[in-house]
Amino acid sequence: MTRLLLLASMLASLLSVWAGSAWSQPLLDWSPEEIRTVGQHGPWPPPPVRDPSNRVSGTAAGVALGERLFSEARLSGDGRMSCATCHQAGREWSDGLAKARGSVELDRRTPSLWNIGYLHWFGWDGAGDSLWAQSIRPLLDPREMNGGPTRAAELLRGDATLACGYEKAFGRKPGADDEQLMVDTAKALAAFQATLVSPRAPFDDFRDALVAGDRDVAARYPVAAQRGLKLFIGTANCNLCHLGPRFTSGEFGDIGIPFFVRPGEVDPGRLAGLGRLVVNPFNLLGKYNDDETGNNTRRTRHVQRQHTNFGEFRVPGLRQVGRGGPYMHNGSVPTLEDVVKHYSEVSPDRLHSDGVPLVRPLALTTEQSADLVAFLRSLDAEPPVRPAPPALCP
Amino acid sequence: MKLPAALLGLLLATPAWADCPLDLGRGTGWVLFSDHYLMAFRSDPLRIEVGEPFALVLNVCTKSGAPAELLAVDAQMPEHRHLMNYRPSIVARGDGRFRAEGMLFHMPGRWEVSFDVRAGEESERLTHDIILK
Repeated sequence: MTRLLLLASMLASLLSVWAGSAWSQPLLDWSPEEIRTVGQHGPWPPPPVRDPSNRVSGTAAGVALGERLFSEARLSGDGRMSCATCHQAGREWSDGLAKARGSVELDRRTPSLWNIGYLHWFGWDGAGDSLWAQSIRPLLDPREMNGGPTRAAELLRGDATLACGYEKAFGRKPGADDEQLMVDTAKALAAFQATLVSPRAPFDDFRDALVAGDRDVAARYPVAAQRGLKLFIGTANCNLCHLGPRFTSGEFGDIGIPFFVRPGEVDPGRLAGLGRLVVNPFNLLGKYNDDETGNNTRRTRHVQRQHTNFGEFRVPGLRQVGRGGPYMHNGSVPTLEDVVKHYSEVSPDRLHSDGVPLVRPLALTTEQSADLVAFLRSLDAEPPVRPAPPALCP
Repeated sequence: MKLPAALLGLLLATPAWADCPLDLGRGTGWVLFSDHYLMAFRSDPLRIEVGEPFALVLNVCTKSGAPAELLAVDAQMPEHRHLMNYRPSIVARGDGRFRAEGMLFHMPGRWEVSFDVRAGEESERLTHDIILK
């Protein structure tokens, strides 16, 4: 009996050692400077965002109306397309296609809506300076929903449930002003989209533990991801543009993707986006901005159009990046491994930088490439199941 | 101990200084000078964050203590040879006081801020480095 107990005890000890080794991997050495830099990529999630230019931003009634309208195909010209046609919850709020598809195939990829409420510029070219202004564009674009300027208003006035949801959100019944109702539709859509915050990922547990000095928890983060993160914030300098908790500056860059969309036709990116921003009647300098202080117009008032904006596109956030794809503004890079390969082999001639280039061929080894991918995938997490949308009105 | 304080008080009470006081009000900021100009400035908010708009509050004076004019403010990253994506606007508030609104540093690193100042016919560019981490 004693021998049996001894054997059981030894077995338990062995199992404990095995289990321990399976959990705790080596924690690389992290300098105080590196810990400070890693700390800048959190904490996550950030506090909920409220857009002062949008009176229903952050309100329960506005979000509920927006969620309902997000899947409303009657907003489109032929009644077959809604926002959710391209921005699908099951596909990281994108569509998995290289190029967006409306009534025709477009030249750019459908961007994910994760964490979109924290941005300041919207669309790949930043032609929108608010989420609600950006939400108007596909409603009207003949190549996308093609709803025309009266469709949203007719729907809000004609559908009793939507009219009731509108009144709850905006505190008035849908009126006779079609343009106002289209803008309000977009504001409700924006209120909903701003709630799409990506879940905490393995990186966040590592980041928090590293900052707190909890070596045991930090050591659970895979070594390959640790090495990839060191590259990301170190020699690869990815965090010059992919910075902060969302891993983006929210600004624009040219990373060497070909300009041409067809023979003889280019996508000028930010350069054209700024041109559209200025003439957009729904920009923040217009009459539909609900922020009476004007504080939220600083970027719009001061942004300058420069020749270097040609071929620049918005720096995307990297959370949930491994679950998305294809990649880049035009969907031309199929996999995350290919993205890393692009940065490893990008041609300096194409980038023609005057000074120290922000993007340069990293010439990564196979192991370094795999490490970077391992780190990027540690920004992914399975989103929780979405609850059914609340009823708009009893 | 009393003598230096008295001298400082005398210096601050000099009428020429009162014409263009270098008082930013918060005890924080930077002072720049050349052979002809003195200027003090601070950011608003005091902490500059990457990607967040800020303003500069400035006092610009000649070495003789007269108010000078601030013609332009800009910033660039010399290593990467790029400017800000934003163009600040300047509001004059009298007595050499200015506010430059619409600054934004969109990347961490060394930013060289330049100030074009003028008094009479004489203009000059003063620069100052801000390292953003």
